[in-house]
Amino acid sequence: MANQHQDPAQLCFENVRTRRLIIASYWVVVLLAIPLWWKTTSIERLSLPTSRVRAQRSKELRFPVNVDIGALHADDDAPIAKHIGAALQQDPLQVAESGVDVRVQVGLTSEAAYRVVLDREVREPAIEGRELHIPTDYDTTHKEALKETLEKLLAPYESSTLLSHTQRVMKYSPRYRLAFTLLNEDAASGNAAMAWEVQAAIQGHIGPLLEKLSDLHNFTIESQVQFHAPLAFEPRLVQHEGRGVHGLTHEDLTVFINSAEWTLSSSVSNDPVIHFVLFVPSAKNSPLHILDQQGSIHPSNAFLLPQWGGIVLLNPSQGSPIPRLSTSDLSPIFNTFAHQLLTLLGVPGLPPNVRAARRPDSPAQREPFTDWELDALLRRRALENVQSSTETLEAIVRLVDQIENMPVGQDVVGDIEDALDALNEAHESSRTSPVETLKHSARALTLASRAFFNPGMLALLYFPAEHTYAVYTPLFASVAAPLIGAVIREVVAWRKARKEAAAAAATAKTHGQPRESVAQEMSRKAD
Amino acid sequence: MWWRGCWKSCFVLALHLVAASAQGELFDEDLTLRPLRDGRLEARFSFTTLLKGASPRDPESLRQDDEAQHYTLFPLALGQILREHAVTELHLTLNAGKWNYDHWGYPDEPGVGTGAELWAWMGDTSLTSVDQRWQGLRQSLAGLFCASLGHLDDQRTTSPTLTFQPEGSLPNFTYPHQLRHATLPSEHVCTENLTPFLKLLPCKSLSGIAHLLNPHRVFDADWHGLGVHVRYRERIGVEVRLAFQAVLDPVRYSHDGRRDWSLRSVFDRIVEKACPVARSSKVQVELPGETSYTLSPGPTDVVNDMATYELTSAQEALDVAMKWPGENSFVYPDTSQVPPLTDISVRRNLKGASQAEARLTIEVTNNLPVQVKSGYLETMPWHLQFYLHTLRAYIDDSQRDDLVTILSYAPPVPHSRPALLQAVLTLPPRSTLRLTMDVSKPFLRYTEHPPDAQRGWDLPPAVLVPFAFGEDDSPEFETSASHEANSTWTQEREPYPRRPSRARRIYTPVMLVDLATPDFSMPYNVIIMSCTLIALIFGSVFNLLTRRFVVVRVDSDPATPDVNSVGGVADSVGGTGAAKKTS
Repeated sequence: MANQHQDPAQLCFENVRTRRLIIASYWVVVLLAIPLWWKTTSIERLSLPTSRVRAQRSKELRFPVNVDIGALHADDDAPIAKHIGAALQQDPLQVAESGVDVRVQVGLTSEAAYRVVLDREVREPAIEGRELHIPTDYDTTHKEALKETLEKLLAPYESSTLLSHTQRVMKYSPRYRLAFTLLNEDAASGNAAMAWEVQAAIQGHIGPLLEKLSDLHNFTIESQVQFHAPLAFEPRLVQHEGRGVHGLTHEDLTVFINSAEWTLSSSVSNDPVIHFVLFVPSAKNSPLHILDQQGSIHPSNAFLLPQWGGIVLLNPSQGSPIPRLSTSDLSPIFNTFAHQLLTLLGVPGLPPNVRAARRPDSPAQREPFTDWELDALLRRRALENVQSSTETLEAIVRLVDQIENMPVGQDVVGDIEDALDALNEAHESSRTSPVETLKHSARALTLASRAFFNPGMLALLYFPAEHTYAVYTPLFASVAAPLIGAVIREVVAWRKARKEAAAAAATAKTHGQPRESVAQEMSRKAD
Repeated sequence: MWWRGCWKSCFVLALHLVAASAQGELFDEDLTLRPLRDGRLEARFSFTTLLKGASPRDPESLRQDDEAQHYTLFPLALGQILREHAVTELHLTLNAGKWNYDHWGYPDEPGVGTGAELWAWMGDTSLTSVDQRWQGLRQSLAGLFCASLGHLDDQRTTSPTLTFQPEGSLPNFTYPHQLRHATLPSEHVCTENLTPFLKLLPCKSLSGIAHLLNPHRVFDADWHGLGVHVRYRERIGVEVRLAFQAVLDPVRYSHDGRRDWSLRSVFDRIVEKACPVARSSKVQVELPGETSYTLSPGPTDVVNDMATYELTSAQEALDVAMKWPGENSFVYPDTSQVPPLTDISVRRNLKGASQAEARLTIEVTNNLPVQVKSGYLETMPWHLQFYLHTLRAYIDDSQRDDLVTILSYAPPVPHSRPALLQAVLTLPPRSTLRLTMDVSKPFLRYTEHPPDAQRGWDLPPAVLVPFAFGEDDSPEFETSASHEANSTWTQEREPYPRRPSRARRIYTPVMLVDLATPDFSMPYNVIIMSCTLIALIFGSVFNLLTRRFVVVRVDSDPATPDVNSVGGVADSVGGTGAAKKTS
């Protein structure tokens, strides 16, 4: 009977070796697939140039500045100039914190950026271009005063507190939009200005400034008139010189802008907007003045909102609407706007004892601001840009370190590397040209913030790991169970077989050969 | 008193001088009120600002910085968008409700398609493509008007130049102009759209007739919609017209079912004061043909059955009221008796219960005693695909395919482009043309379904433009006289004062199509199902490969002599009992 049915143990695929090979090959496939699976499911996280970003921290932007001290009438005053120069060389200017390295030279060489000139025709320090003219009686006794003036001119900003500087000043942007708005609170009430000659006024008062600032920023100009711009609060009625006037307290000024009703902003571009508002109160709220802390009327009728813009209140003298505000009407208003613009853009202003020289072509008008101030602003903006782009880059590195499954694509890495290159260029060019430095630093800032706000970095941020497990478990668990089970079974069987074989061998030794066939039989069974 | 009047007129004069001198910017506003024959009241607000001497931005200049923009009356926010994207002509309408052409006649504002409709003509240069600017324009307008215009993407954008001809003139650039048109029927107009709309007006809603736009009332109207129309008028300038149109129901507002109305009763507001910068500010009331009504206060002027009230700053508040003293309550006209007010009437519907196929039917009735030719436009998203070969035309159940001519069809591209079907229909006098066409409903991708997928998809309205009346094809032939001779109502209202010379568009109502929607837990079911199958197959194959079969010998028992044969069968089977897996 047994001869008719072959023993299954004798079949080729039923032997122990084949079975173990099959199990092993399954495992080989699984193990080989793991790297592939890992590769295809992992998030693209390119490595960031972390060390280069860290290295930026230690770098400092330095602007070497040469100041020459000389005399206009070299024969007579040269000794005094030499004397002052020597004194300044011994007691250097304290401007290093603002990134300025000053070298004082005696004698008017041509390549120096700034000059201090002893001039017999001036009574007090005056600025002409990049020259500071001081009277000749400005001898060593005034050395401290001169030193202070030079420090104020070269580094007019408080060095340690960047933030306090930027609270009022707009954040740097290569392009601003200047939005001029003539706001009538209620034109139908009779107290209103219906139109204004804004183009001529901008041309006359703002244009020269913008031209001078063109190294720093580009500007887009727009203007509109609104005829109904209600206030969100009621101005307080106060008595002044026997008549009732309406007053704005300090708290009122902070909520003056009624952004729900006034359509001042528009949506076509992302450039920051600097607003200039000329506000004409309605007949009901007229005249409208600003009150000081004591509740009496402040002489000024203009105020500035930090990082937003400037506002001027206009109280028309007659009761009927003004058909058109002429250029001469607008002149004082736009002077105020120009001043507000300079403040908002961070032009430092001169020290109190120094005055700007008159313009050579039109002596009646002063330059809006001096080259000393422009250079100081350039340096300051460059310094700030470098600092904030370094901070942004560091923030990206920190963020990517913290969040494990944040993807980092090639565009982010590219932007970061470009930003680092731009920063290096800014450092290099600071020796030669502050304008170039500013351009590079602005590019670095743009690239760094673009990398920071790259939408690709958010892609998988909210895709939790549990989700992945939930998808994989139904497949992997049910496949892994028989695989692992088979391995455990084989291992157990193998160990049992070895044990029995050892036991059989021991028995064979004691009982002799005839038992060997039994032991073989047993071991095969155990397999 | 006399002095006061004199002072007032001086004041008015001064204001008018002011308005005229405002740097070549003119603002006109008017409100037209038209009592409809079903007791309703159509109100159309129109605010026109003209920027004299301006011309649209040449797209070639997009590479340079734009010139500074200084506006007095023109809305800056809109001006910036037009300059930024170099748009020559722009039309945006946001409507809610179904315009009842048969009872209300042609609307004063032609764009009455339900939902959002945006079309623009733009110069086409190689510098920036029209499509890029179209996308930017959509998004800017979406931001300005708080509407979902961003959804008017390539899947809904077509260029039906025959139906949407420019309403102004196109500047003489050295390159052609292109049209982009898109509709979004599911968009709904509401207060959040009206607020930015009002902010574009020089007087906002604080003075002038815009004060009447009370959101509580106008959005309660049976039909309401707002529109923004920008066009370039050659040698005159760029004109922006902001329009708001509503069909109000005074019968519904009144307690005793009367159709008497006044500004206060329908808007809950009156015109308190004039807008000081408007060159002209008018309220016009179209007088119904019957004589039994009263209108108060007395109008400034009556021309051609149109009463006009000129608003001036000196005027007291204005509240126009119309009363029918002889009427106790309004009796609705019998719809089967009164003829439709438009030349043609259109009905469109979708039949079929299946989620895969349906039949589109459009019925066009010619109400005139003469033959009418009409353009027919269907801009269909790919959610409904036409079988064009099944297009049939019937008149009274007899097939007349010859009535559909000049058929042009741009097939849809699934997931990217809509279909564009244009044809010319010839409508025999006083008959109904029925077009049928089989359509298929495609399957959408899982992510393409809207949040409320079971509701279905709104399909944009079809547009019909009747252009030639009479047997000869000359479009100049004017049949209004013969048409109105047949309708007692329109005869009384003759002459039709605002009948424009150009062909008027007629929009069909929107349709809803029910597409096959999946069970949205499907991906997880698929994962579980396929994992189970794989695990089953894997498990059996793996077990077969690694299972071991052995012979279990059953010792022969003298009592059961046949047991050997049983054991012999069992060991060959690998089954459960006898051949046992050892482990």
